[in-house]
Amino acid sequence: MLPDGSVRAAEIWKRFRADRRRRLLRDQIEHGVNRALGRDEPAAWRWVLRDVNLDVPPGQAVGLVGVNGSGKSTLLKILCRVMYPYAGTLEVAGRVGALIEVRAGIHPDLTGRENVFLYGSLCGLSRKQVAERFDEAVEFAELAEAIDRQVKFYSSGMAMRLGFAVAACMDPDILLVDEVLAVGDASFQQKCLDRMRKVLAAGTTLVFVSHDLQSVEAVCQRCVWLDNSVVRADGPTREVLAEYRQAVEEVAAQGDTDGRVRIVKAEVLSPETETAESGAPIVVRLVLESPEGFSGSSVCVGVSEGTATPAFMIDHALSLGQGLTEIRCTIPRLPVAGGQYYVWTGVFDRAGADLVPWQPVEKFGVTGAELGLAPRGIVRLAPLWIDARWDVDVADPRAAER
Amino acid sequence: MADLTLPLIHPPLPPDAPDPALRFRRRVTLRTLAAELWHDRELIRTLAERDLRARYKQTVLGFAWTFVTPVLMLIALTVFVQRVINVKTNGVPYSIFSYTGLLAWGFFASAISSGANSLIGNMSLLNKLYCPREVFTLGGVIVSMFDTATNMLIFLPLFVVTGFYPKATSYWVPVLLIIELAFALGVALLAASLIVFLRDLRHALPIVLQVGLFVTPVAYGFDAIPKVWRPLYSLVNPLGPVIDGYRRAVLLGRSPELGLLGLAALSSFLFLVIGYWTFKRLEPGVADVA
Repeated sequence: MLPDGSVRAAEIWKRFRADRRRRLLRDQIEHGVNRALGRDEPAAWRWVLRDVNLDVPPGQAVGLVGVNGSGKSTLLKILCRVMYPYAGTLEVAGRVGALIEVRAGIHPDLTGRENVFLYGSLCGLSRKQVAERFDEAVEFAELAEAIDRQVKFYSSGMAMRLGFAVAACMDPDILLVDEVLAVGDASFQQKCLDRMRKVLAAGTTLVFVSHDLQSVEAVCQRCVWLDNSVVRADGPTREVLAEYRQAVEEVAAQGDTDGRVRIVKAEVLSPETETAESGAPIVVRLVLESPEGFSGSSVCVGVSEGTATPAFMIDHALSLGQGLTEIRCTIPRLPVAGGQYYVWTGVFDRAGADLVPWQPVEKFGVTGAELGLAPRGIVRLAPLWIDARWDVDVADPRAAER
Repeated sequence: MADLTLPLIHPPLPPDAPDPALRFRRRVTLRTLAAELWHDRELIRTLAERDLRARYKQTVLGFAWTFVTPVLMLIALTVFVQRVINVKTNGVPYSIFSYTGLLAWGFFASAISSGANSLIGNMSLLNKLYCPREVFTLGGVIVSMFDTATNMLIFLPLFVVTGFYPKATSYWVPVLLIIELAFALGVALLAASLIVFLRDLRHALPIVLQVGLFVTPVAYGFDAIPKVWRPLYSLVNPLGPVIDGYRRAVLLGRSPELGLLGLAALSSFLFLVIGYWTFKRLEPGVADVA
């Protein structure tokens, strides 16, 4: 027996039908005739998980990342035993709390209170145990006065808060969370992260699926990258995310370029150093070609870590003439930490419509300051490196005398 | 707790298909089934309670709706049907005679229709958390039991008005109830799991139930069925001898016809076993087609 809170999934395979066959009678008859004549094509299956191994000890927080359709949600459904794998072995020990679809499981005709009890029972708690946790959940969801109202009259944010609160407050041994925090407002997101951190500190195992890489980084020490149904990398969050970002960038960087104005050249120069360096100047040089003049337009230049994590954006008014225009934007002290970055560019006319759509145009590496690892549960908003001066005075009784 | 020495792994690309020896197998034994159901007893209760609470929300009559169907049916049968067909009731007032049948049939019909829709109606829950899926069907059947128990209250005014009272042989009722419950559960489990994969059944079921009301001795007595056909009838539709049993035991002071009742019991438990087995066989695929 595994200790409560562990997940051991070994060599998990899962497939779905690739051709959603129509099940009408006449299709079935045709199918039967074809089979009898021996010219039946074998059913097409599509693998959504291939040979996935995931061994999570109690108390660990694992992030699952991957592009859409890579199999993350299916894996999560298999872990909470809602779906069954095609092959492999699976052991999940302890009570599982799952937050898979925001409003799923919340019955619209029941009141918030009745839903809390229903969900608690589904998590395997007795009614007494639910009652003990009820006040905490309601307080967390900030639903004090709405709790006896039918859930269909809730706003979507309220329903989401209720869903998260009951899942997180029922003290599961394993908490599975699938891309749900995106719905709440910023302060509630932070609250959810705080809650997750608290739940983790209490020893709960967490499996967290998200496209929001910063919150994965903030919560999980381990990360698994699923790519096209297989595990591409599994290890410390930072290293896996670095690989993931790089791979996603390669795809994303081929953004569309059809605007009314064409980018002839985009480059990043570092006049004082060999490559771009934290705190050193860089110059972003753009050459644009325009078929006509646009007065009152503006140009924006931005920098992101990878293509997913924006760092900053600056803009400048611009009167674009017909033909070639060269723009040099000098940033005297580059405020980002070491890593792989992209320069983004967009040019917009007076009304704000695209002349050059906002897109990554050039990749550049930055050497220099390494950002410290943020404590768990704190979201590092942007990879900015700020050269701050810190003065810390140790309380010294002798200092007070002077 | 935080393991800072996690290795970074890049698993090799897997083969095209899994080793056949790896096929996932679910072990379901009677013991694990019973243990899981016992563990989830409060969940079943909560689900049944939820259905009861949610059903009449935002209605004006509220819970009184439970009585509407049986009372209307009773009126229809006693006021109209009785005048057209001459039913032999062995001296029992027709209202009581037919209501006994109506109550038994009503339980079966509502258990089947709520049980059959229990999986497709709870897809959002099914996709969220694990529990043995039959808890939803059981919850539906329990709601029907609750309704039927409530509808029994209508017997009180009927007994008072007609001056006809139940007989001492009513002790047979629990036995008959168990047979009927087994039959209803079996059919409900069968229908619930099949309907997920074959949604046509959803449209066919009301028709089947409507026909069932007429081919089951509800408005008439079991003796309307020719004697030679009765054993076969009991096997196909165990409700026949069961309803006849209720009437004999409660209204006539006799014991049920044991031979036919035995056949009905056999058939009912066979339905239950086949229904449960099918349900468990189809259960793993439910989330895939949801």
